[in-house]
Amino acid sequence: MFYPLAGKMIPWFAWPAGILFALGIFVGFFIAPTDFQQGDAYRIIFIHVPASWLAMFLYVLMALYAGVGWAFNARLASMMASSLSITGAMFTFLSLVTGAFWGKPTWGTWWVWDARMTSTLILLFLYIGFISLQSSIDDARRADRAGAVLALVGVINVPIIYFSVQWWNTLHQGATIRILQKPTIHGSMLWAMLIMLAACWLYSVAVVLIRLRCIILEREQNAHSFAEVAV
Amino acid sequence: MNWPDLSMGGYGFYVWGSYLFSLIAIVWELVSLNHRKKAQSRAQKTVSPGILRGTTNETTS
Repeated sequence: MFYPLAGKMIPWFAWPAGILFALGIFVGFFIAPTDFQQGDAYRIIFIHVPASWLAMFLYVLMALYAGVGWAFNARLASMMASSLSITGAMFTFLSLVTGAFWGKPTWGTWWVWDARMTSTLILLFLYIGFISLQSSIDDARRADRAGAVLALVGVINVPIIYFSVQWWNTLHQGATIRILQKPTIHGSMLWAMLIMLAACWLYSVAVVLIRLRCIILEREQNAHSFAEVAV
Repeated sequence: MNWPDLSMGGYGFYVWGSYLFSLIAIVWELVSLNHRKKAQSRAQKTVSPGILRGTTNETTS
């Protein structure tokens, strides 16, 4: 029942994602002014910040689905966690790479073992660990359980990433946008960032649904093949 | 509307590099997903279509 529904939902996320990516790039490059301190180098934030937020958010979501799948033996939830892991890993990798591209002109270095960057690197290792662990176990149910344990233990890293700039004296700048406070950046810069965030989020939903459909079919086929062999 | 300077005030390599890298990552994800879907549809031809309607227990628990 979910499989055809997911298929119908994909275009409703994919097309708006493409439109918002184009709009975000337009606002970010044509409307947003040049920063008086960082010049045009700051325009990296329009991809770096959404990638970083999604890296953390998708991990929490992945752990939640993996936990639900483990606790209630809900296979669809476990498959959703598997599907989320690759997109989450991709955004974490993008966050680190675009951060390095931003770090070089502003800090003078591509990388430093700063608390924010190190904890984000650990997040990437957690994603890779989850993906590797799941693919190394042939039995899907055992793979889901093992992955769930790792995902749930690793979720502790997400608040560490978020609060690292407050807890430690880091080279990475503090949060520019807070929920309860007025943002300290120019309106058009904020809009470009929020549009790109929405685009990345819609893209993630579309891609995760496509991958989820593949995982559903793969597991069904494996079960079918096994049943044929057993007969 | 401001027409952006392509050199990005001397930071062009970093700005365009980060966006190019992001584009490559997104394209890689979409292409790999497409390959997976194609491989899936090839394998699917040998399996009963009933599984797509959710008539088995595998995905409904």
